[in-house]
Amino acid sequence: MNLRRILSVASRERREVMRDRLFFALAFIVPPVLLLTFGYGLSLDVENIPFAAVDYDRTPMSRDYLHGFIDSRYFSFKGYLENERDVYRLLAIGRVRAAIVIPEHFQETLLAARPVAVQTLIDGTFPFRAQTTKGYVVGVNTAFSTRLLSGHLARTTGVSRDSARHILEPIKAEVRCLYNQSLKSDWSLVPKLMMIVLMICPPLLTSMGVVREKETGAIYNIYSSTITRGEYLLGKLAPYIAVSILNVGVLWLITARVFGAPFKGSALFFFGSSILYVICTTGMGLVVSVLVRTQVAATLITFIITVVPSVFYSGIFVPIPSLSKGAKVVAHLLPAMYYTNIVTGCFLKGVGLEVLWSDVLVLAGYAAALFTIGYSMFHKRPRS
Amino acid sequence: MNENQRINQSENRLEDCADRPVPLLGRMVIWQRRLRVMTVKELLQFSRDGALILFMIYAFTLDIYLAGSGVRLELSNAVTVVHDDDRSFASRELVRRFRPPSFDVEGEINGGREGIHLLDHGEAMVVLDIPPRFGESLLCGMPTSVQVQIDASNSLLGTFAGSYSTQIVSSFGLEAGLRRLGLHVDHLENLPHVMEEHRVWFNPNQDNRWFMSIAELLNIITLFAILLPACAMVREKEKGTVEQLLVTPLSPFQIMFPKILSMAVVILAGTSLSLFGVLKTCFGVPFKGSLGLYFAITLLYIFATAGLGLFISTIARNLGQAGMLTIITYGPMIFLSGAWTPPEAMPDFLRLLMLLSPLHYYIDASFGVLLKGAGLSLLWDSVLGMSLLGGALFGLGLWRLRGQFQ
Repeated sequence: MNLRRILSVASRERREVMRDRLFFALAFIVPPVLLLTFGYGLSLDVENIPFAAVDYDRTPMSRDYLHGFIDSRYFSFKGYLENERDVYRLLAIGRVRAAIVIPEHFQETLLAARPVAVQTLIDGTFPFRAQTTKGYVVGVNTAFSTRLLSGHLARTTGVSRDSARHILEPIKAEVRCLYNQSLKSDWSLVPKLMMIVLMICPPLLTSMGVVREKETGAIYNIYSSTITRGEYLLGKLAPYIAVSILNVGVLWLITARVFGAPFKGSALFFFGSSILYVICTTGMGLVVSVLVRTQVAATLITFIITVVPSVFYSGIFVPIPSLSKGAKVVAHLLPAMYYTNIVTGCFLKGVGLEVLWSDVLVLAGYAAALFTIGYSMFHKRPRS
Repeated sequence: MNENQRINQSENRLEDCADRPVPLLGRMVIWQRRLRVMTVKELLQFSRDGALILFMIYAFTLDIYLAGSGVRLELSNAVTVVHDDDRSFASRELVRRFRPPSFDVEGEINGGREGIHLLDHGEAMVVLDIPPRFGESLLCGMPTSVQVQIDASNSLLGTFAGSYSTQIVSSFGLEAGLRRLGLHVDHLENLPHVMEEHRVWFNPNQDNRWFMSIAELLNIITLFAILLPACAMVREKEKGTVEQLLVTPLSPFQIMFPKILSMAVVILAGTSLSLFGVLKTCFGVPFKGSLGLYFAITLLYIFATAGLGLFISTIARNLGQAGMLTIITYGPMIFLSGAWTPPEAMPDFLRLLMLLSPLHYYIDASFGVLLKGAGLSLLWDSVLGMSLLGGALFGLGLWRLRGQFQ
């Protein structure tokens, strides 16, 4: 390893990148833009579920029941429908996601102190939304039923309404959500989005590095020079790592300042491990660049191996334990998952190296493995 | 090189014909022959990139399989630990209600501090805290409370865990209350209350694999529809072969359209591979609507999105730029498509932006056809939106391209 040769490759690459003004600008514009749009766009909170109602009863009590939904912030009332056929049409085009069908004699049955079945029709296209909707429906129903029951008990046994309710609701469940007190998606998601953005952008920058020279033929200068394989690859990687490290700082500022995610961990540890992570991700781009022959293939392959897995297997939407076996293997093969642990650890939980050392170790191993693969696949004496 | 020479020769011959006044029919024949030659050229060029084809097949099969089978957006076996200060019959009964598939009680702990420690380290997701004299209070009708602490760093699952545990606790409380009144929860025929009866349509078992695999297929189609035509164009610019095209009698449309056409063929082939090879055989997705309609909508979508790709290709001078420009449009498109995030929950200005994303319409139409069995009569507005956007993007791309040719 000769430092001077590495530096000369690096400065050549830096010049090439900086002279391509659009590319250079995009290298700094794309990451913050992605973080901002994802951060503002990605709210997984299921609220304002559009719903319609078919009220066959049309009595004060049925309206009272419906108001449980209309007044809830989880539902947004879209109007009454005549019959269930209209429900099908609206559900099929996605205008509403749920519908409530109140049967005839709703009030009559309840006043006669008998149970009544109310049907809820839910659009199951997006299963997790259907699941959440069901939970909300149960909540509204329980509240309504408890009110009815306590009124009924008050009338039949002579206790007051309030004490009747105390009898029916003896236990209060105090649910406390840690690490994300208000359950606002922004907080918990934005730090993880940093991981996604740093997974997508650096490889894309690097992926052109070697293959561009292959396509234009400039690589023959390298083949015929005294520079070694390792020096060449390190020099190629260096400018992109520098760009990505600058981006880490910008993204961190946006996450902490613009989105207001609390940063509880140590900044030094966070930046150290972030540098390790961008070395991994830029390395992925470099390996792709070494392996393929055309730039088109390099672009596409980089997209496929970074964008998709970083969303699915990094623990953003689903924690790793509830992944299936095959997906778990993929998750463990990618650096994204380990960095997610580090990001959530630093931002939301305030833990440091003492807890996350294994993740850091894996990232370091990953970086070394990528470099080894790149090194062994890159030949100065190509066969063809 | 051979390729281009051959094309140029045939083009020269075509031009010879074109110089003389030819009848309309003849012109159409020339037009369609030029289109065919150029399309075949693009397909040949694509077919010679082995790595590209390999990854394309991976994307349309294994990747979609992994996305479909791998991700479960539901609370399954959330690790629960219990801090039981009461140790009564009632407290044990309550703990027993936290059971799989949603919860999995892994054991007891001795203090709140230990619970926090487990939550910190991600070793437990739910800590259930039952106070002393819990059972006693229930028996004599005193109000009491239990505490549920949830690791909500995954807010979706946090919501589920919160709502499920509230349900468990309140139904347990209701039963205890009724029991004190000498009633049993199974014999409530003589009490007024609302019985919950929900039906989930279009995906009765809420099979996440259907949603995930279709959503992933749509993402992949989008990616290729932007990137393939854009790359095909930028590559010519970067290598300088676009100069060759410029001296041919081909019009900008005749240069641009075959690139989209050939890539549409490739993408549609990938789509059918994944529809029949993965979605149907592996996940049993019921194709409720007409597949012909689905392919037609997909073709329309590919053209709409390819318009965007071509627009990118008029800005980018090399593939590095094209890649960066693609990600800056593709990323927001995915997140504004409404597949991941409920449109209802988005801020107003993002909902307006969603109307500008062709993927938004395509997702509605695809789920409509594939899962809901909707026909054109229901989906006409999605198709219209897609056509308008597609037409605009395509026109914009063509206009920019024309400007660059002169």
